[in-house]
Amino acid sequence: MTLGKQRKFEWVFFQNLVVRQIRQDYLENLTGFAWLILQPLMLLAVYAFVFSTIFKARIPEAEEIGFVPYLAIAFWPWTAFSEAILRANNSITANGALIGKVAFATEQIPLATVTATFIMHLVGYLAVLIVLQLMGTSIQWFYLLLALPVILLMWVFACAISLFTSAIQVFVRDLAQILPPLMTFWFFTTPILYSSSYLPESIQKLAQWNPMAWFIARLRELLLFGEINFDYRALFIVLFIAIFAWGSLRFFRRFSGHFEDFL
Amino acid sequence: MDTLVRIEDVSKIYPRVHRSRERLQAFIALLFGHEPAHGTKVLRNINLDVVRGQSLGIIGENGAGKSTLLKVLTGVIQPTTGRVMVHGKVAAMLELGAGFQPDFSGMDNVRMKASLMGLSNQELDERLDDILKFADIGEYIHEPVKHYSSGMVVRLGFAVITACRPDLLITDEVLAVGDESFQKKCIRWIQQFLDQGGTLLLVSHSMYVVQKLCQKALWVHAGGIEQYGDVFPVTQAYLAWHEKRNAKDKEMQLKATGDGAYYRIEEFTLLGINGDETPAFAMGEDLDVELKIYSPDDRPPVGVVGVIRADGTPVYGVVSDNENTTPVKLADHYYRFRLRLTNIALLPGSYNMSAHSMDPEGVRVFDNRQMAFTITGDTKEVGYIRLPHEWLD
Repeated sequence: MTLGKQRKFEWVFFQNLVVRQIRQDYLENLTGFAWLILQPLMLLAVYAFVFSTIFKARIPEAEEIGFVPYLAIAFWPWTAFSEAILRANNSITANGALIGKVAFATEQIPLATVTATFIMHLVGYLAVLIVLQLMGTSIQWFYLLLALPVILLMWVFACAISLFTSAIQVFVRDLAQILPPLMTFWFFTTPILYSSSYLPESIQKLAQWNPMAWFIARLRELLLFGEINFDYRALFIVLFIAIFAWGSLRFFRRFSGHFEDFL
Repeated sequence: MDTLVRIEDVSKIYPRVHRSRERLQAFIALLFGHEPAHGTKVLRNINLDVVRGQSLGIIGENGAGKSTLLKVLTGVIQPTTGRVMVHGKVAAMLELGAGFQPDFSGMDNVRMKASLMGLSNQELDERLDDILKFADIGEYIHEPVKHYSSGMVVRLGFAVITACRPDLLITDEVLAVGDESFQKKCIRWIQQFLDQGGTLLLVSHSMYVVQKLCQKALWVHAGGIEQYGDVFPVTQAYLAWHEKRNAKDKEMQLKATGDGAYYRIEEFTLLGINGDETPAFAMGEDLDVELKIYSPDDRPPVGVVGVIRADGTPVYGVVSDNENTTPVKLADHYYRFRLRLTNIALLPGSYNMSAHSMDPEGVRVFDNRQMAFTITGDTKEVGYIRLPHEWLD
């Protein structure tokens, strides 16, 4: 038995890592965790003002619902996804001191970062959903049960990408500069600010295979319209993400034993 | 015997990673399962077995590869070639504050570290009192770690380790940080750990600590094993090597004189109890020094014999003149001194016997010679010589 293989995934440690990540941002604030809810709500107010009052943005197929709920349903999951990847990307290099001194399953670090980011934004998401309901949007609360697996799948997807990027980041530091514009590109090519019907026909076909577009579309259907629209592509996407996650974990572990040499 | 650690032919090459191109090359090499091509070889072909209950001290100069060896052992880094096998629960103290988050309280960090070492929440709760008692930092435990002194960080780090009850404890020069009383506490704990059958790997520059805690020693030099064996011979050899290195300059100065000496030293030998020439003596044996001096005017010269620690510190010296001794005349111009150091009370280690010849008036030194010798023996006394002593009631 070599020690490299003995590195166990310590559950208690992982939980502590996640909690620490969440607490880190709020530790020295006066109001503490209140910001978890206050910040998303303030953002929601900003978007409501900018898009309804200034841009007067409209989505034809969601006239009744209004632009702001239409955006908000998609925006928070996306933010969780994007921020998780960007944060996790630097997590290995940021924890270099620990990695160089203690032998442990290093994948816990990017995974904890992704998980913590998702938890934080989900709390905000719930607050936003409640406020939207209070403002008159009818949220399909029952379908939240089906929305959760979709978000869980997004989490797995973010974990897979993060294992991949955070391992590369150790060797190729330029990734930290490349990744944010890439994520911005992904944001604008995913129908978040607009409906997929805005896309030219040719791109629409291609965009079908963007997992994020699929997630966003499902979340809107479920939470705003109460529709269930899982087809063969659901199976395909689950399969794709499962294989991708398995592959990136193997990819990560191929390099994790060598991180110390490069930190 | 129950082997806890086995290192088989382990080598470690640190890849060159300064330029981004080199990092990219190394990345691609690893991607395809190759080892990085260029690098610094810090460990070469190390083989080592540590059995359960053994305590091994790892010594060597700075940069010899000790810490890398420990990192390979703990699994923090992978060896480039060879295999490392470790059975049982390992606690490594490569740096006691490793993993501590400065913004969080000591308590939070204890939880974090304990879980990193594999303790469950329940186990931690049971042992928390012991940890706090061992760390003994009082109310500071609720303060952020960034307000701690370095000593307090070490206390807390060590305290968590004590709670983990490992089979194998690996420490890298961590005992040097705490204050005197905490160091003693740590050493007491480690001794207790060893008494209960624990296994220890310790890196230290303090031969005192190594000799006190370890049965075996491993001298690492330039990435390889220089010597391995019982702690006393290995540490003594290591110290002697160091002292010799330091004393080289002085030796050079001494060599400058001698050739044209008037009252020349012809022969200088060290003899054991049976009259044979030898460089090694057991502590408490008799040591004979024989000195033949050439006298140009055939008058009896004065001889000086002294013991010098290998680093040049004089330990003891005696001048024949002052003790009213005259040499034996062997032949015309040749005289011989014989000095017996009875029950030699030097502590085990490396020494030089130094001899000088002086004119008959004892005014001027004409020649000098040095000869290395070692005193062997097992003792935990420290210093150069054993002073006669007894413990009183």
